Amino acid sequence: MKIKDTEIISLMQNPRTQEKGVRALMDAYQSRLYWHIRRIIVDGDLAQDTLQETFIKAYQNFHQFKNDSQLYTWLYRIATNEALQQVNKLKKMQKTDEDPEYYMQNLVADNTEGDAEEIQLLLQNAIQSLPEKQKLVFMMRYYDDLPYEEISKIVDMSVGTLKTNYHYAKQKIEEYIKENYER
Amino acid sequence: MKDFDLEKLERKNIYKVPENLFENIQGKVLSGLNDFDLEKLERKNIYTVPENLFENIQENVLNNVLPAKKAPVFKLNWGYAVAASLALIFGATFVFNNDNSKGTDSQATVASNNQEKKTESEIAYETLKSDLTSVENNNQTVVNQSDNKSFAKDEQNEGQETATKTVKPVSKKEETQVNEYLDSFSNSEITELASNSTQDVYLDLYN
Repeated sequence: MKIKDTEIISLMQNPRTQEKGVRALMDAYQSRLYWHIRRIIVDGDLAQDTLQETFIKAYQNFHQFKNDSQLYTWLYRIATNEALQQVNKLKKMQKTDEDPEYYMQNLVADNTEGDAEEIQLLLQNAIQSLPEKQKLVFMMRYYDDLPYEEISKIVDMSVGTLKTNYHYAKQKIEEYIKENYER
Repeated sequence: MKDFDLEKLERKNIYKVPENLFENIQGKVLSGLNDFDLEKLERKNIYTVPENLFENIQENVLNNVLPAKKAPVFKLNWGYAVAASLALIFGATFVFNNDNSKGTDSQATVASNNQEKKTESEIAYETLKSDLTSVENNNQTVVNQSDNKSFAKDEQNEGQETATKTVKPVSKKEETQVNEYLDSFSNSEITELASNSTQDVYLDLYN
C-alpha cells in the first residue's frame, strides 16, 4: 500500500515518529531517486553513496522543507545537486588528456547489462554526450515524466528554457542514434 | 613518360569500399530509422544493480541518521532496570523477614556492643586523664594554661578549658594516693629518703 506524501511529512515532522518517517520516505522514493542519480553518474557504487547522502541530507534538513512544494520535487533537487557534485569531483580527478565524452561512454559500457539492446546503449551514450542542463532536463522529462513546472523548481530554470532544452536534447539524441546505429 | 596524356588515363577509384555498401545504405534508409522516434522507444534501465541494493542503502542511512541505534541499548537498560528492581524487592523482603525473626537477638547484641564501647571509651578517658595528670605534675597549672588564651583560637581554648576542668578531680585523687603512699612510710624511712635526695634550687625561686 502506497503511503501518501502528507503522511510521510507528518511522520517526519514529529520527533517521535521520525524514524518511521525516514523509512516511509525511502520506501516511497528510493527507486525513482536511485535511477535519476544513476543516469547522471552511471557508476553503481557512486550512485549508491549519492542516494544515501541524499536521504541523510533530506533527514537532516527536513525542517527546511516547505509544504508549498511537492515532496518529490524537494528530494529530486537534493539528489540532483548531490549527483552533480559527484560528477564534478570525477571530472577533477580525470586525466587532462582524456576526452570526457569518451570517458563517460566507457563507463556506460562497463555498467551495462550484457544483454542490453544496442539502441538502448546508444541512447545512454547519446545522453552522456549532451551538455549538463540538456541532459538533466531530458532525463527528468523522458524517464520520470516530470512536469516542466516541477523540473523548473528542481534546476532553477524557466519553463520556456526547459522546453527549448528538451527539444534540442531530443534532436541531438535522435541524430546520434541514426548516425551510430548499425543493423 | 614524356608523352603522358591525362585524358587518356583510365578513370578508376582506387579506395577500398566495404562489401554490400550500397545495400546497407539503402537498407538503413528504407528500414524506417530515418523516421526513428525517440518517444516510441521503451523506457528501460539497462545498468546493472547489486543485490539487496535498497536494503543496504536503508540500513546505512538509518545507521547514520539515527545513532538512535541506541534503541536496542535503551531496551537493554530497561531490562537491567527491571532485573535490578526485582532483585531489590526480593532482597529487601528477605532481609526484612530475617530482621523480624532475629529481632531480640540482634537487639541484645547491640546492647552488649554498646557496653563494650563504653568500656573502651572509659579506657580512653583514663588514658587522657593520666596524660593530663602528668602535665599537671610538671607545674603546668590551670592558671598557666589560661594565660595562653591570647595566642590560641577560641575553639582551642574551649577544648583546653574542658580538659583542665577534668584534670582537677583527678589531681586530688592522685594527691590522696600519694599521701596514703607517704603515710605507709615510717619516719626513719622518710628521713633516709630525704637525705638521699638533692635539693632543687630552682624550686625555691618559683615557690
